[in-house]
Amino acid sequence: MPNKLIALQEAVSRYTRDGMVYSSGGGLPVGSESVVFGKEMVRQGRKGIHYLTHCCSQQVNLFCAAGVCDRVEAAFSGLEVYGFANGVRRAVESGRVLWEDWSNLSMTLRFLGGALRWPFVPATVNIGSDNQWRSAFKPDEYPCKSKIPDVTDPFTGKVYGALPVARPELAVIHVTMSDVEGNAIFLGTEWSRFELARAADKVILQADFIVDTDCMRQYPNLVRIPDLLVEAVIPWQFGAWPQCSVGVYDSDEDHMRAMNKMLGTDEGTREFRAKYIDSWHTHEEYLALIGKVAIEKIMNNATTHLMDPYRKWVKSDEEIKKLMKESKFS
Amino acid sequence: MEFTRQEMMAVATGREIRDGDLCIFGVGLSMLAGYFALAYHAPNAKAMTEGGVYGSTPVGGLPWGIEDNRISANATCFTGALDALGFLVASGRCDLGIIGAAQVDKFGNVNTTGFWEDPTSPHFGPPKTRLTGSGGANDIACGCKRVVIMLAHEKKRFAEKVDYITSPGYLDGGNAREKYHFVGGGPVAIVTTLGILRPDPVTKEMLIDSYFPFSSVEEMKANTAWDLKVSPGVKVTPEPTAEELKVLRAVDVTNVLKRT
Repeated sequence: MPNKLIALQEAVSRYTRDGMVYSSGGGLPVGSESVVFGKEMVRQGRKGIHYLTHCCSQQVNLFCAAGVCDRVEAAFSGLEVYGFANGVRRAVESGRVLWEDWSNLSMTLRFLGGALRWPFVPATVNIGSDNQWRSAFKPDEYPCKSKIPDVTDPFTGKVYGALPVARPELAVIHVTMSDVEGNAIFLGTEWSRFELARAADKVILQADFIVDTDCMRQYPNLVRIPDLLVEAVIPWQFGAWPQCSVGVYDSDEDHMRAMNKMLGTDEGTREFRAKYIDSWHTHEEYLALIGKVAIEKIMNNATTHLMDPYRKWVKSDEEIKKLMKESKFS
Repeated sequence: MEFTRQEMMAVATGREIRDGDLCIFGVGLSMLAGYFALAYHAPNAKAMTEGGVYGSTPVGGLPWGIEDNRISANATCFTGALDALGFLVASGRCDLGIIGAAQVDKFGNVNTTGFWEDPTSPHFGPPKTRLTGSGGANDIACGCKRVVIMLAHEKKRFAEKVDYITSPGYLDGGNAREKYHFVGGGPVAIVTTLGILRPDPVTKEMLIDSYFPFSSVEEMKANTAWDLKVSPGVKVTPEPTAEELKVLRAVDVTNVLKRT
């Protein structure tokens, strides 16, 4: 199998385009998320994205604030204990972004159905509520009959709902570790990264660590995304920042709040873009932007023992630089 | 005994958990109520999150999110949403779910999606105020055997009709849930900042079951937009005991209760 390591900038220019149906994993407000990939999409000026995700994240918040997406389908639009997502709120309340509501199980089932190439998935949830009867995409259809249409169980005659399956063109999934071929292990809950990796037409991984394939041979049960599903692997430690990566770093409380505050206005969003997106290019510059004090703080968390079994296979920065030169993309 | 309204609310919610229950909690106050119960009277209850963290207790404070490090540090199992919300909640295996609400109506239907200028309009325009949406709450409301709803008791939040049904309670009341064949039983309690409402066994209308020691039937009615009825056996909710408060405050190491 080929070495699929790719530079962040090249992955965005090669695999994303305006107007695409895009998804990120885990798609979470505080936890695993491909935040740095989203920042590079902003830098490269992507527009018109139709975003499928479990939850709002700082990536979704940024996309809404910066005008990158105009449609979102999701189960949750907040940042949990960090509060409402200001970028999302502004965009949805002004009508600039259409936000179609689902639940976490219905998004999971939609990815599962997409992965299995099913025509639809029977729903025992979201029916009998406004998640079924109201549609932001079809605002004049009420009660909406085409978002989650009725479907009759052919065996019992009982009526349930039919969930449309989800098939993103591209899924960019944050993982704790991957080898150069795209075999990935994640620590913490996977949410629907397993199903999403199989529902999407193309999958790119954003990995905190690059590990030797011997790690996967030691723990093959833990490889939930195998290389055959993966187009490319971006080595990018702290790529979920300011969100957390279980086993590695915590969410950055100060920056989670500061970022959300900035995304609350157009002026703040411009400031965010200048300071946190356009000001850096290399990984070293990105780390300098987070800052040594913040890195020390987020690395000091109660989950670091989860990473212990894998450390001996982790590639150093020097090794990664060498591997990048041997990649099929170099 | 000195205690805050939020502490009374958390303890009252925690008392809804029975030893041995399989439970699912949201972040914030509902998680605090849940972990208080596990630490106090329900040591054999099991807690999980919507994304599939099992067997853990928060470390270093209440979690920022249901997927973060504080809830992941001592887990016994990590799986995913299909397992937690599907195999364990949609299947009917989960005994109790605790969900928050921004607005609730007399049949226990919950709105966490938004507020609209005219929620009755057939045209579904942008909300005046966008809230968080369902998360896993709709799934919990459909699938858990028992659901407990927590919210502040204010007139604007206790509406005749909610702006948007995010998570179904008893819909139009009576046996309305049967039409959708929901596996779960619906809300057994709404725990507010003033007292506890429970459904009438037949009509499923939420009635005042008890009021907190610092509140009254009149105060609860005055803060409700519909004609809130009173259960025949209405009583005062027992105030938190010294031991309950001690355990609750120990669980609340980051002082969530002081901030809410």
